[in-house]
Amino acid sequence: MKDPSTENLNPPLTEAQVIANLRQTEDFSDQYYAAWWLGRMRSRHPETIPLLLTALDPLHGNPIHNERRAVALNAIRALGILQATNAEEKLRILLKKNDYSIREESARSLGMIQAQSAVLDLCELLSGGPEETEQIQPGSAKLKEPYESVLEALGAIGVASRSVIIMITPFTKHSRPLIRASACRALLLLTGDQKWAPPLIELLQHDDPLIRRGVLLDLGATGWMPALPAIQAAAIENSLKLVALRGLAEKSEDTCVLDAMDGLL
Amino acid sequence: MINISPLEGAIADLQAAKTTPELIRATKSLCNLHTVDAISALIEVLGFNNPAVASVATAGLIELGSQAVPSLLVSLDEKNYGSRAWVVRALASIRDPRSLDLLEHALATDIAPSVRRSAARGLAELNLIYPEETSKLNRCLLALLAAIKDDEWVVRYSTIFGIEMHLLRYNSTNKDQCILGLKQLSSNSESIKVIRLRATLALQRINAS
Repeated sequence: MKDPSTENLNPPLTEAQVIANLRQTEDFSDQYYAAWWLGRMRSRHPETIPLLLTALDPLHGNPIHNERRAVALNAIRALGILQATNAEEKLRILLKKNDYSIREESARSLGMIQAQSAVLDLCELLSGGPEETEQIQPGSAKLKEPYESVLEALGAIGVASRSVIIMITPFTKHSRPLIRASACRALLLLTGDQKWAPPLIELLQHDDPLIRRGVLLDLGATGWMPALPAIQAAAIENSLKLVALRGLAEKSEDTCVLDAMDGLL
Repeated sequence: MINISPLEGAIADLQAAKTTPELIRATKSLCNLHTVDAISALIEVLGFNNPAVASVATAGLIELGSQAVPSLLVSLDEKNYGSRAWVVRALASIRDPRSLDLLEHALATDIAPSVRRSAARGLAELNLIYPEETSKLNRCLLALLAAIKDDEWVVRYSTIFGIEMHLLRYNSTNKDQCILGLKQLSSNSESIKVIRLRATLALQRINAS
């Protein structure tokens, strides 16, 4: 339970204080929290986006300061949530950085911004044959590129050109279920072709709850209404079903989805 | 050979269970006894931090209905938010008016969004009689009205559901205030689209009635 007495000792931060915390450069944890907060609270303060963009600059240092990198990662996420179209160019440049997480978060935010100018750069991250896209990187479980977030971004941006489809399609056969799901999600969004839906519905029965959860959110994001009963029936907690159905409701604007959500509260 | 009752047997199975399928099976047989004597064991299961098992126990408690309410009301574990969520969910589904204080408190103060979400639904659906229990119904509505400012979209969503349900069923002196709140949630000052959609739907239904 929230303790009202401690709440009074630490009153919630105001937007102006958070802006000041992001601007200062002495206390990294204040900056880190501020960058997260501005996205979470969907700040519309005129200084928010310029300050978040400035927070990306340390990523071009050499070596990159570790704590400034963490602040920058939050700033990348916040710029995506805030749909800061004037961040497109800076984020596109970050797709070429030698840092997996920076590329991953930048791709995701470019998707949220629906940055059409980033499509070519994103497709470039998908290049290479299976031997390259299946190759696990030494010393981690990661693959060469953050394929899930790149595929999701391409689906969200919505440029359904032949060349984009050709780049995405091989990933529907990837060995990792969540990458297959991201590819199907993107293709369903881009082409509207229902043949990409059954693999997603099938993955919803996967033994691994983490995969079921990821696929559930993918299905929600497609806005594909026939997925509604499968989402409702999935062996997953209601909290996550509500998040998936939120995606479906926002894409389809169909009140059936709202009725389904009411039933899961 | 010692004769043990089905209840003792089920509890022994539960204590011996190690894997999730074993726990689920033992919890199910406990539920199938449909007895108040199983209540404390079922409530204990909610604290195992195992959602699959807890959902079975919760279903069993909900089936026992009002009989389970007194034990549930005193069982709230402040430190275990997982079990708290299940207790609030069970109470919300049982709809017993004795849960009013607890649900009101949970919606206003609980730190877990899923608990506040269930509490809002509970306050929407308590079995209160109109107009005899108008003052209690009004407490529910005021608690919901205060929660439209919640930081979490899913709690605001649940609150809209609750306010809609109240306004469609009962005459309320707070109707204008509720409509004002719903209008705010349907406008662009609300950043989450699904909230705007749900608030718009609620306003349509209320205006049509």
